[in-house]
Amino acid sequence: MTANISEFCVEMQNIHKFYGPFHALKGVSLRVRRGEVCVAIGPSGSGKSTLLRCINQLETISAGRVLLKGELQGFVEQDGRFHPLSSGQIAAQRRLTGMVFQRFHLFPHMTALENIMEGPAHVKGWSKDQARTKANQLLERVGLGGFGGRYPEQLSGGQQQRVAIARALAMEPEVMLFDEPTSALDPELVGEVLDVIKDLARSGITMVVVTHEIGFAREVGNHLIFMDQGQIMEEGHPRSMLADPQNPRTAAFLSKVL
Amino acid sequence: MTSEVESIGAGFKPVADERREITRNVVVPRRHPGRWIAVAVLAVLVLQFGQAISVNPNFHWDVYLTYLFAPPVIRGVGWTLLLTVVAMTVAITVAGLLVVMRDSENPILRGIAYGWVWFFRGTPIYTQLLFWGLFAVLFPNLSLSIPFGPELISVETKYIVTPAIAAILGLGFNESAYLTEIFRAGFNSIDRGQAEAAQALGMKRAKIWMRILMPQAMRVIIPPTGNETIGMLKMTSLVLAIPFTLDLTFATNAISNRLYLPIPLLLVAGTWYLAITSLLMIGQYFLERHFGKGVSAHSTRVG
Repeated sequence: MTANISEFCVEMQNIHKFYGPFHALKGVSLRVRRGEVCVAIGPSGSGKSTLLRCINQLETISAGRVLLKGELQGFVEQDGRFHPLSSGQIAAQRRLTGMVFQRFHLFPHMTALENIMEGPAHVKGWSKDQARTKANQLLERVGLGGFGGRYPEQLSGGQQQRVAIARALAMEPEVMLFDEPTSALDPELVGEVLDVIKDLARSGITMVVVTHEIGFAREVGNHLIFMDQGQIMEEGHPRSMLADPQNPRTAAFLSKVL
Repeated sequence: MTSEVESIGAGFKPVADERREITRNVVVPRRHPGRWIAVAVLAVLVLQFGQAISVNPNFHWDVYLTYLFAPPVIRGVGWTLLLTVVAMTVAITVAGLLVVMRDSENPILRGIAYGWVWFFRGTPIYTQLLFWGLFAVLFPNLSLSIPFGPELISVETKYIVTPAIAAILGLGFNESAYLTEIFRAGFNSIDRGQAEAAQALGMKRAKIWMRILMPQAMRVIIPPTGNETIGMLKMTSLVLAIPFTLDLTFATNAISNRLYLPIPLLLVAGTWYLAITSLLMIGQYFLERHFGKGVSAHSTRVG
């Protein structure tokens, strides 16, 4: 393996994000190592989803730098100025990441199989057969072999989210981003989706997960961040941090959700 | 199929179709006496109306039959159909372009799209067609030249903007303004998350429009566009303003002026417009079925 300039898969340097006058992220810095499962928790509106969406440029940052595998995202930096990349170059950078959304966002006019094939066939330019083989493998992996012919509407929420995970994996991303992947699910369906994500975590892929599932953070996370009011208030190893939070805000939050 | 699915995946339990030990409730259908009364009343009215028209000499049914398939009428049907299809194609192409321009980050493109809709929607179609007809008079020569500099190519306008071209551009450009609004409504009806999911896959803008947004917008776009197509069919009769003299209405009017019998020829034209509309509606049905994939049709009937 060639020497990499950065051992960090995701590196965020002093990120600020404004929505008009609203200061959503106030100087957030975060480093995620290769193979790490980084879990972000915190109250609603604390900026954790915004942070995640800055990683794959669904949000444009107002200040700071986002680097994936050492490469600056969205801009070329020259003489201290930032030159924005073209939309095509940004699209190419987004292939480094795969994203799973809270509300699945499967393409409703395509079957489960076609949803998963879409990336390989129409972004990577694979042949239909290649893409179909890959998609079928991934369907098996998320426990949905035989469901490929169904439209999203004909699947339960948990099944849809598992298809969405397979769709993101089909692009073979370096980093998987999960934006509250179980928040829109009925309680009895949360388990099947978490099982798939846990499986992935153990496979060694780098992940950043925004979630309210503290149990998940403790079980598979190896890097926990607690966010509040647009800042990372505390950061550390999940087990120690959940057992003995140092910041009073973390302690207050955990006392409410645990 | 059921048994095959049963063994795979969690959280999916197919329900057995029918179990023998269950005796279904005996349901006696409700009676609808009101419907039968309505049928009887309507049948009497329809028969009376049918008789009043069919034996009425003022309708000149013999003349109607003579001219229904007369060569100038058939030619008129052909031209009307051609104008409708080509003008609608122009309109859809322009509107597709305009709707993407309106969503553009480039303020000049946005401005052009906005101005186009403002102008073509804001002036009467008849006036626009009159101007298209006068185009060759207003600009006798079309030339490509450097502004205030030498002329490169020059052509007489009447060879380019023929009445047929004037009719197609006039009808098409006018319609594009209305279609732009319909398309915009269709694209706006799609959840923002769809485009984001496609972006997250690394798709480029053009692909997102073509593969993700357009097929979904179609469901909303097709019914009103079907309306517009049928409207266009009948709007072609206005090309008289240019003047373009080969369409169906002009053909039947010419015959009725010669015979002094307007009624049967109005019926001839009406029959053909109705026939073409029926054809278009069949096409619309199949388009809707194609783009309805993955969405179950919801009946709006209550109770």
